[in-house]
Amino acid sequence: MAATGQTIAAAPPQEGLRSKLRSASTGFWFMSPALLLVIVFFFIPSIIIFGLSLTNLSTATGFQNWDWIGFKNYEKIFNHPSTKTIAQATIIYVVATLTLFNVGMALLVALLSTHIPKRAGFVFRTLWLLPRITPSVVYIMMWKFMSAAEPYGILNRYLPFLFDGKNLLPNSPWVFVILTNGFVGASFGMILFASAIESIPKDYMMAAMVDGCNIWHRIRYVILPALRWPLLFVTTYQTLSLLTSFEQILLLTDGEFGTEVWSLWAYHRALNNYWGNFQWGFGAALAVIMVVIGVVAAVAYMRFFQFDELVQEPRIEAL
Amino acid sequence: MNSETNIWKTRISNAIPLILLVVLTSPIVIGFIWILISTFSKTTYGLEPQGGLTLDNWSFLWEKDTKIWTVTLNTLILSVGQTVAVVLISSLARYALSRISFPGRKAFLSMTLILHSFPAVTLLIALYFVLRWISDIPIIGNGLPIIGGFGYNTMGGVILVSLALQLPLGVWLMKGFFDNVSWDMQRAALIDGCGHFRVWWQIIMPIIRPGIAALTIFSFITGWSSFLIPYTFITDQQNSVLAAYLRSLLSDTAPVSYSTVAAVGLFQLIPVMIFFIFTQEYLMSIFAGGSKGGT
Amino acid sequence: MEIKLENLTKKWGAVVGTDDITLDIKSGEFVAFLGPSGCGKTTTLLMIAGIYKPTIGYIKFGNRIVNQVAPKDRNIGMVFQSYALYPHMTVYENISFPMKLKKTPKAEMQKRAQKVADMMGIGHLMDRKPGQLSGGQQQRVALGRALGKQPDLLLFDEPLSNLDARLRLSMRGEIKRLQIELDITAIYVTHDQVEAMTMADRVAVIKDGKLQAFCPPDELYDQPRTMFIGGFVGNPPMNFIEVDVARDAESGDYHARCQGLDVIVPPERGEKAAGKGQVILGIRPEDITVADQGVMGETFIVEPLGRDDLLDVRVDGIGIHVLADPKLNIKMGQSVALNFDVDKVQFFDPATEKSLLWN
Repeated sequence: MAATGQTIAAAPPQEGLRSKLRSASTGFWFMSPALLLVIVFFFIPSIIIFGLSLTNLSTATGFQNWDWIGFKNYEKIFNHPSTKTIAQATIIYVVATLTLFNVGMALLVALLSTHIPKRAGFVFRTLWLLPRITPSVVYIMMWKFMSAAEPYGILNRYLPFLFDGKNLLPNSPWVFVILTNGFVGASFGMILFASAIESIPKDYMMAAMVDGCNIWHRIRYVILPALRWPLLFVTTYQTLSLLTSFEQILLLTDGEFGTEVWSLWAYHRALNNYWGNFQWGFGAALAVIMVVIGVVAAVAYMRFFQFDELVQEPRIEAL
Repeated sequence: MNSETNIWKTRISNAIPLILLVVLTSPIVIGFIWILISTFSKTTYGLEPQGGLTLDNWSFLWEKDTKIWTVTLNTLILSVGQTVAVVLISSLARYALSRISFPGRKAFLSMTLILHSFPAVTLLIALYFVLRWISDIPIIGNGLPIIGGFGYNTMGGVILVSLALQLPLGVWLMKGFFDNVSWDMQRAALIDGCGHFRVWWQIIMPIIRPGIAALTIFSFITGWSSFLIPYTFITDQQNSVLAAYLRSLLSDTAPVSYSTVAAVGLFQLIPVMIFFIFTQEYLMSIFAGGSKGGT
Repeated sequence: MEIKLENLTKKWGAVVGTDDITLDIKSGEFVAFLGPSGCGKTTTLLMIAGIYKPTIGYIKFGNRIVNQVAPKDRNIGMVFQSYALYPHMTVYENISFPMKLKKTPKAEMQKRAQKVADMMGIGHLMDRKPGQLSGGQQQRVALGRALGKQPDLLLFDEPLSNLDARLRLSMRGEIKRLQIELDITAIYVTHDQVEAMTMADRVAVIKDGKLQAFCPPDELYDQPRTMFIGGFVGNPPMNFIEVDVARDAESGDYHARCQGLDVIVPPERGEKAAGKGQVILGIRPEDITVADQGVMGETFIVEPLGRDDLLDVRVDGIGIHVLADPKLNIKMGQSVALNFDVDKVQFFDPATEKSLLWN
C-alpha cells in the first residue's frame, strides 16, 4: 500500500472523461442515421410549418412576393365560414368512429372471438386485420362499390327494401366514412383487447364460474377490469390517430358532401386542390393547430401512462 | 328441464357468438369476394357477373405500353428500400438507446415515444418544402439512378420520407426484443473482444431474429400499400407506385371500369395477402407486445 | 499474474455498490468472493473485468493500472452464471470466438479449440448449438470459451448455481483441478460458503459492500473476525449466546455466564472478553457434545441428518443447536447435558459485531 503513494498522483482514479466521451461518441454514431432523419423530417418541418403559418406564401404570391403576415392566417381561420362546420365534422367523426368501432367494435369482436373455439377466433381476428393490410385504394374501392347505385351497388342490389337504388354516398356520406375508417381502426384495439383477455389467468375465470357467475357477470367483473389499461391506451392512442388521419376520407369522398375534416382541409388547401392554388401559408396554419393539439395530447398521455418507467439504465459502462 | 333441452341451450349459447361474429365480419368478406369476382367479369351487378367471365380485365398485364410493370417495380423499390433501411436504422438506434450509456439517452427515449404518437401526416406540407430544397442539392437531389435522387418528385425522396415517418414506430417496436437479450451475453461479448458495433451485428441481431422478422413484415406491407406519400410527392401518378396508379385509374374522367380497377387492385393485394397469410402470427405478436407499455 | 485492488469504491448516485475494498491477490491463487446476495461481490468482479468503472480506487494487473483498459484488452476469461453462450453459434464457434477476434490463424485456432474442448470433455460436441446441450455441458463450453484465449485471469460469477447438486459437486472438483494445472489466477464469486471453503486458497468475505475478512478458509472457520463471518461460514450455523464474562477472584478461572449457563473458558480467550459487560459467545454445533455432565437443557426438536442428529436444545429459554451422535438416540423432550469444547469458543462485541479475539 505504501508504494501506491506515487501512483495516486499519476493517474486520475475516477471514471475517465476519456471513456465517457468514447461511449458518448459510440452512442452518437449508432444513433446518427436515425437522428439525421428525425431532424430533417420531423424537427425541421415542424419549424417550417410554424414559420410558414406566419406567411402568406401561396401559388398566388409565388416564391418571390410573399410576406410575413404575423398571425393573420390564424385570424383568418378564426373568422372563416367553414371553420365551425369543419371543426364540428372533425369532432363528430372522431367521437363516432372511436366509440362505435375503434373501441366499441374492437371490444365486441375481441370478446366474441375469445369465447368461441380458439382456431375459429383466430380466423375471425385475421379477417378483421384484412382491411388494415389491404392497400387503401383497393379497400376504398370496395366500399365505393358497396354503396354504388343500382344495378352495380351491392347494398342497393341485395337490400332494395332498405335503399332507394341511388348511390348511397352523397346521401349518407358520414355513415360510410365512419364505416370505412372503423373497419380499419377496429383491428388495432381488437388485437390488444384479445391478447389481454387471453392472458387473464384461467384461475380467475374458474373461480368466477365456481362462484356462480353467468356470462354477463364474468364480463363485468373479471374481463372488463383486466381491460382497463388496454381500453385507456387504445382510446387515447386512437383518438390521436383519428384526429390526424384523412387518407380514407380523401379517397372515399375527397371531402365532398360535407365530410371535410380538419386535417383534410389543411391538406387540400396546401397541397392538393382542384384549382391548383396552393395556399401554403394558410394550410400550414391549419396544420399547426393540429400539431399543437397532437403534441400536447401526446405529452399528456405519456405522462399519464408513466412511460418514464420503461427507461432502464444500461448495465455496462465499458467503452 | 331435461338434459336434451339443456344440451340445446348450451349449443345455442355457444353458437350465438359465432353467429354474431359472422354477421359483423360479413362486410369484409363480401367486399373481398366482390373484388375477386369482379376481376374476372366484364361488369358486375352486385356480386353477379354480367356478360360472362373473362380475363380481359387482366390485359393490363400483357398490354403494349402498359405501365403496370414500371409501377410495380417502383412499388417494390419503395417497399424493399424502406424496409431494409427501417430495420437497420431502427435497430442501430435501439441498440444505442438500450445498451449504451451516453448523455441525453433518456431524452432521446422520451422523444421516440412522443414522435411515435406524433401526427406525422400533418408535416406533409412542410415536407414538400424540405424535399424541394433537397432537390436543389447536386447529384443527391435529382441525379441518382433507379431512385432518381432524394428530392421532390423522386422515388428516393418518397423512400426517405416513408422511412423517417416509420422510424419512431420501428425504434419503439424493437424495444422489447432488445431488452430481452441478457446483459451477461453482452458482457461476455465485450470480454471476448467485441466492440459495440460487432456486438450489435454479430451477437444481438442474430438473437433477435424474430423481432427483425416482425418489423420487416410490418414495414414491407406498409411500404407496398403506401399511398399518401407517393401520391403527394410524385407528380406523375402513372409512374408512381401501385396505389397511386390505381387511384389515377379511378379518377380518370372517362367512365370507370370497375372491373379493370378491381383487377389491378387484386394484383396489388395478392403479394401482401400471401405474405400476410404466412406471417400473421408474427404480426399479431408485434401489435400486442409492442404497444402494451407499462407492463 | 497478481491482482491488486486499492480502495475500490463503486457508487451509483447515492447507492453504494462497494465501499473501499483493498486486497492483493497472488499470482496463481484461487480467491473466492463470498457473501450474501447483493453484497457487492459481483460488482467487484465486474469492475475487475472492466464492465463497470470504479468510482474511486485502482485495479492493477501486475504493476499496470487497468482502470481505463477495455475488457477485451485485459486478457481475462469470464464464466457467467447463465453461461451466456451465443445461441446462434456452434460450440466450436463459441469457443473460438475470442480467438477469432484476436485474429488468431485458423489452424492454431482449431487446434487450441479442440484441445480445450477435449480437456473439458466436450470435444465430441463441437458442431452442436448450445440449445442442444445439457446445463452441465453448456457450463463446460462456457469454461472452454474462457480458457481458449489463454487468459491471465479467470473470473467466475456463481457458475454452478444453475446446476443440480451432484453436478455441482463434480464440477467443483474439476474447476479446482483445472485451475491448479493451468496455474491461472482465479477469482470465484459465490454465496455458497461450501464452494468457497472447498475451492479457495483464500476467501474474501464481503457484506454490504465492505470487505470483512480476507484469509484462508480454515482461518475463516476457526478465527472469524466478525459475527457475520461466524454465522455465515459453516453449516449448521454457529450458535450465538449473550453472556457475561467475569474472572473468579479465587480460582482465577474465567466464567462465561448467563441464565442457565456457566462455562469456564480458557484464559487467553476469557481475558479479552472479561469486564466488557454483555458479550456474545459463539460456539459451533459440532463443538458441543451430549455428555453426562454440563449445561442442562431440554431437547426441543431432533432433526436426523444421517451422519449426525441436529438437536435444538433449550437452555432456560435459549435455543442452542447441537450436533449429536445418532447412536445416542436422543428423543424430543429428553433432558440432556451439554459439554462445550471451550477451546473453540468465540467472543464478539455486541455493538460492533466484531470479534474480541482476532482483531
